[in-house]
Amino acid sequence: MQAPIVSKQKYDLGKLWGIFGGVLFMYLFLGFMVIPCFNTLTSVFRETDAAGNPDPFAVIRFFFAGNMPLFLWNSIKLAVCLVVTVNVVGISIVLLTEYFDIKGAKILRLGYMTTLIYSGVALVTGYQFLYDQNGLMTKWLIEIFPGLNRQWFTGFNAVLFTMTFACTSNHALFLRNAIRGIDYNTVEAARNLGAKPFKVLLKVVMPTLLPTLFSLTVMTFITGLCAMSAPTLLGFNSINPEIVRLAGSSAADESFPQARAALLSVILAMCTIALLLVLNHYESKGHYLSVSKTKAKLVKQKIQNPVTNVLAHIYAYLLFIIYMTPVVMIIVFSFQNWGNVRNKVLDMSSWTLSNYFGNQDYVYQNWKGREMVSKGAISGVFGNEKTLGGIRLSFIMSAIAAALACVVVVIAVNYIFRHKKKKRGKLVEACMLFPWLLPTILICYSYRTFFNSNVFYVFGQNLYMRENVRILIVMAYMVVKLPFAVRMIKAAFYAIDEELEDAARNLGASPMITFLRVKLPIVLPSVLAVFALNFNALFSEYDMGATFKKAEGTTYAMVIQSMCEDEGRNNVNMNASGRRCASTVFIMIISGLILYLVYGVGARDLGERLAIRERRRKRLQKIGRRLGLSHAAAEDAEVRID
Amino acid sequence: MARIELTHVTKRWGGFYAVDDLDLLIEDNAFVTLLGPSGCGKTTTLRMIAGLETPTTGKITIDGVTVFDSDAGINVPANKRRVGFLFQNYALWPNMTVFQNIAFGLSNIKEPGLSVTPEGEIVRNPDAGGTPRKLTKEEIKSIVARVSAIVKIQPFMDRYPGELSGGQQQRVAIARTLAPGPKVLFMDEPLSNLDAKLRLEMRSELQRLHLSTGSTFVYVTHDQMEAMTLATKICLISNGVLQQYDAPLTVYNRPSNTFVADFVGNPAINFMNARGSQQADGSFSLRLLENYDAVFTPAEPVQTESWYAQAEKEIAEFDAKVRPAEKTNKDVPFNYPIAMVNDVPDSREPDREDWVVGVRPEFVHICEDGPIEGEVFSAMPTGMETTVRIRVGNFLLTSVVFGGITYRIGEKIRIRFTGSGATLFSRVNGRLVATGTVEVK
Repeated sequence: MQAPIVSKQKYDLGKLWGIFGGVLFMYLFLGFMVIPCFNTLTSVFRETDAAGNPDPFAVIRFFFAGNMPLFLWNSIKLAVCLVVTVNVVGISIVLLTEYFDIKGAKILRLGYMTTLIYSGVALVTGYQFLYDQNGLMTKWLIEIFPGLNRQWFTGFNAVLFTMTFACTSNHALFLRNAIRGIDYNTVEAARNLGAKPFKVLLKVVMPTLLPTLFSLTVMTFITGLCAMSAPTLLGFNSINPEIVRLAGSSAADESFPQARAALLSVILAMCTIALLLVLNHYESKGHYLSVSKTKAKLVKQKIQNPVTNVLAHIYAYLLFIIYMTPVVMIIVFSFQNWGNVRNKVLDMSSWTLSNYFGNQDYVYQNWKGREMVSKGAISGVFGNEKTLGGIRLSFIMSAIAAALACVVVVIAVNYIFRHKKKKRGKLVEACMLFPWLLPTILICYSYRTFFNSNVFYVFGQNLYMRENVRILIVMAYMVVKLPFAVRMIKAAFYAIDEELEDAARNLGASPMITFLRVKLPIVLPSVLAVFALNFNALFSEYDMGATFKKAEGTTYAMVIQSMCEDEGRNNVNMNASGRRCASTVFIMIISGLILYLVYGVGARDLGERLAIRERRRKRLQKIGRRLGLSHAAAEDAEVRID
Repeated sequence: MARIELTHVTKRWGGFYAVDDLDLLIEDNAFVTLLGPSGCGKTTTLRMIAGLETPTTGKITIDGVTVFDSDAGINVPANKRRVGFLFQNYALWPNMTVFQNIAFGLSNIKEPGLSVTPEGEIVRNPDAGGTPRKLTKEEIKSIVARVSAIVKIQPFMDRYPGELSGGQQQRVAIARTLAPGPKVLFMDEPLSNLDAKLRLEMRSELQRLHLSTGSTFVYVTHDQMEAMTLATKICLISNGVLQQYDAPLTVYNRPSNTFVADFVGNPAINFMNARGSQQADGSFSLRLLENYDAVFTPAEPVQTESWYAQAEKEIAEFDAKVRPAEKTNKDVPFNYPIAMVNDVPDSREPDREDWVVGVRPEFVHICEDGPIEGEVFSAMPTGMETTVRIRVGNFLLTSVVFGGITYRIGEKIRIRFTGSGATLFSRVNGRLVATGTVEVK
């Protein structure tokens, strides 16, 4: 009889790796999440009075005595209004393209979904370009409505208008999926029992969409509360721009700038946590679950009343125009010369690529009438070193952060699944979701203030100094993307049949081999999708770049913003608007390409992917035979291709 | 070859006992089926033996080696137990080809004294010593070729699982399990995803595989037909507790209680409540189906008093060691079904003069001179046989008649209980008292 193997006494390499991983995880969690944020929280209470005595409530008193509550009120006002407008537009676009039979729904859907590739600072500057006092659309609108205030697109109105159309992308994705999941038999049953179309919509369709709508409402509210790029660029005093302003201010200019920024961040965090708790409570109550064994596909509903039908079509196409106009105009103007772009005049005879590839000098006369030359003042996205530098930096930092987030999350989720019934599994998951509770601005502000000194656990370095800020930005990028990555990759792990893992274990594979050879290849498409989506979001990200505002960390979005600010100043950057249009087109192309790879190529099921691989293999073999390659050489070529 | 022994094995999740104090001995080269309704603990038992689930307490040995012992702190991981596991959904890795799926387990083997015969069979000789080694690519190829020939999947080696039919996937899963030469082969409802025709075919192939490999097979199913046709021994589990562990025909002919009698057999056994007492000659004088007097003659002598004494002693011992399961539903005796046209609940507490007579449908004989009068309630001819449900008063009895005979619904017929396969259970505890003949006067 063989001696029994006693697993309890076995200390293998895996356990050592486990201990190392645990220590590293705690270092990262405490060092880059808990300690900096805790420092921000406590900084509110660390101020002193004029005599130098500690005065923990000085900032709070100052907060209520001054105009600080106004920022809070403005943010709440924006969030509440946004919830209404975004839901109205979001529900409309989904019903118009998915539920009602509207002619040209496919085209309309494409228009409504442009916010997926055109968002953030690019979208805000695009809207600004069209709707500000000299904007093309404002000019046209004044021709139609002469009484319209030329300044209509400023402050709250502008922010609300822009964000209403910018924030419907979640509706376009999630509400669309929810409505597609409705069992059509339930609609037919209601119709069969005599319900009118509107009643069917209200009593049968909408209740099943409520859980999704509630989540979207909460997320929209948080978005409104934490709005950054639109209020900053369009001039609206809300919390986030004020935090960034205060963070860059000094005590010489105003009282407690840093502590006030911290207090605003903490208030924002408390609001976010409260909203997420509400969402969690709602979700924990459970939802209406479909009991259908076989779901029937939703058939689009014809609007029977001709007047209503016409009105619905008008409304649908009006929304389409609002969505598409900035996109089309930005693309068109990106090919116009700088003069036309600055004057916002469309000249069908002067098309140019200078906004993309140009690098021309600008010749002008100074006040003495002397002819002067401004070198390279008219340059394209790919001809301007500053823009290219921003693109390069954003590209590298986004790629590193997105990749790191994926690696960390894949390892963590694998651990969570292996210990899902144990407290440590739940603890790791809670740690990974921790950044979700905190607004991005709080994390970035905490990083900026806490790491702006020599911190012992980062080898005594000041991470906000010079190029070090790039490490800080990458860390911030990674941390804020962790919760999203956890939710997506966890869903992919859930989809793995547990028996696949059991089968590997049963056939003698160690946990590491099982992970590398069985689980990882299965979740890889989802991991790549998460990488792509995170990269996409980070590449044109504005909020974090603005918070870290530093010459060595000037991201692409910040370059776009600065283009708006210094156009034509001192006879440089003459075609800044044109270059901005071109760079927006570039972002759209990159985003569109990534979304295609994720949802187009990546969404192919394994069967399709295998079929493509098989076709490629056969093609290669054929080529190999034609070229007279030996069998081994052909095989080698196949391996290299794989 | 391997002998598996489970001693006092319990698996508990919180207060729920999935498997409760299970003792089981699976002999070398046996084909044992773990049979029972869904959620009874049969898959959990199988997974515990394979190491995919950790028992709460107890001891498991495979081939004399203790693989789990809660007292000694032994728990050999699943990847070291050398047992094959065939999953219900096959669990083929979609990212690997058929060849890669089969070769996967072989690439994980690293042992001293390892060799492969020219026929592609692994020879393990750990006592030979030497440094542990892995199988070479050529060796893996030859083993894969051998097992793929056994299950006839050689033409599909470069295909992915998604490109195979259900039956082909099943064969690949079998080949993958057989490749590393497991001592025991566990199968968790491996035919449940196949259509009826293919299932029949695969059943026959599994039987032949058992003969050709000479391995010990442990097979989980809730399909009693599969259990009856494949197994050398059936282990019937209900609610985490072993009900009977015997050869298939013994389970069929001598079910240990009303649960076993009801679960095994299709169409199900006819249960009839009866009241009466044992006579001096050992027979039981009973009244059943409300109006009929009958005599049950045991095949072997049985004494009611001593039988009850023994049963009560066993029940007390069982109760003493078995913990209450979920909602203490183990304390509730099995509610055997009495088929009636209009259900009449019987709330009377049974006493020692209450019995349950069980007669299999093949022993309900339709004949002109039968003592019981009834009418055809429904008839289901399949061609080979006809299942007839007969109404006797408010009761329904099932009869199976060989051949495709057409009956008219409502047609008056007479029946008789034939053969010596009738069973008598105590209504007090549901246990089998005796088998024998039942004759209605």
